[in-house]
Amino acid sequence: MPALPASHFLFMVVYALLVSIVFATLLKDQRRDQVMTAAKMFAGFLAAAVVVGWLMYPFPL
Amino acid sequence: MATKSTTAERPRAGAEPWRLTFVCVLAWLIPGAGHLLQGRRDKGLVFLVTLPLMFAFGLWLQGRIFPLEWSDPLVFLGAIAERGLGLPFLIAHLADMGLGTVTAQSYEYGNTFLMTSGLLNFLVILDAFDIAQGRK
Repeated sequence: MPALPASHFLFMVVYALLVSIVFATLLKDQRRDQVMTAAKMFAGFLAAAVVVGWLMYPFPL
Repeated sequence: MATKSTTAERPRAGAEPWRLTFVCVLAWLIPGAGHLLQGRRDKGLVFLVTLPLMFAFGLWLQGRIFPLEWSDPLVFLGAIAERGLGLPFLIAHLADMGLGTVTAQSYEYGNTFLMTSGLLNFLVILDAFDIAQGRK
């Protein structure tokens, strides 16, 4: 089995990608709409993660 | 005065109870199979690939397949979520995979992938149910 990557960001990107694909496929019927929705959702996930990450910056655990 | 017909007002094709049950059980057992059975090939294929891939990713990240224990409500809820993905869960359970390594850096990520894949498949089952009932 390949060694596990240590990047938390990579895990989050893969997670966001897969969830976006499934949600877009569920919500839309046309392929073009599905692609657009998945892309927007994926970008939203990433943007939210970066924003929340910076908001947590002053409060280290 | 003419009124616009809404989804709720449209007559539904409906389906026999045994067929609805069959679609739901099949959709639970094999992610996307409920859609494939009803001619939604593209959607079915997407679910067939992405959901087991997500589950496999969770196992690879050292996630744990939780036991159905009432004593810890959060573990119980996690266990229900993971059981949303029929066949991949059964295979992993029977093959003693998903033991989980609590000390692994990716442990919580693995759990998240495992639970989310099951929860998403619950949504996919509901979608297949709606299609079988003629709502979509």
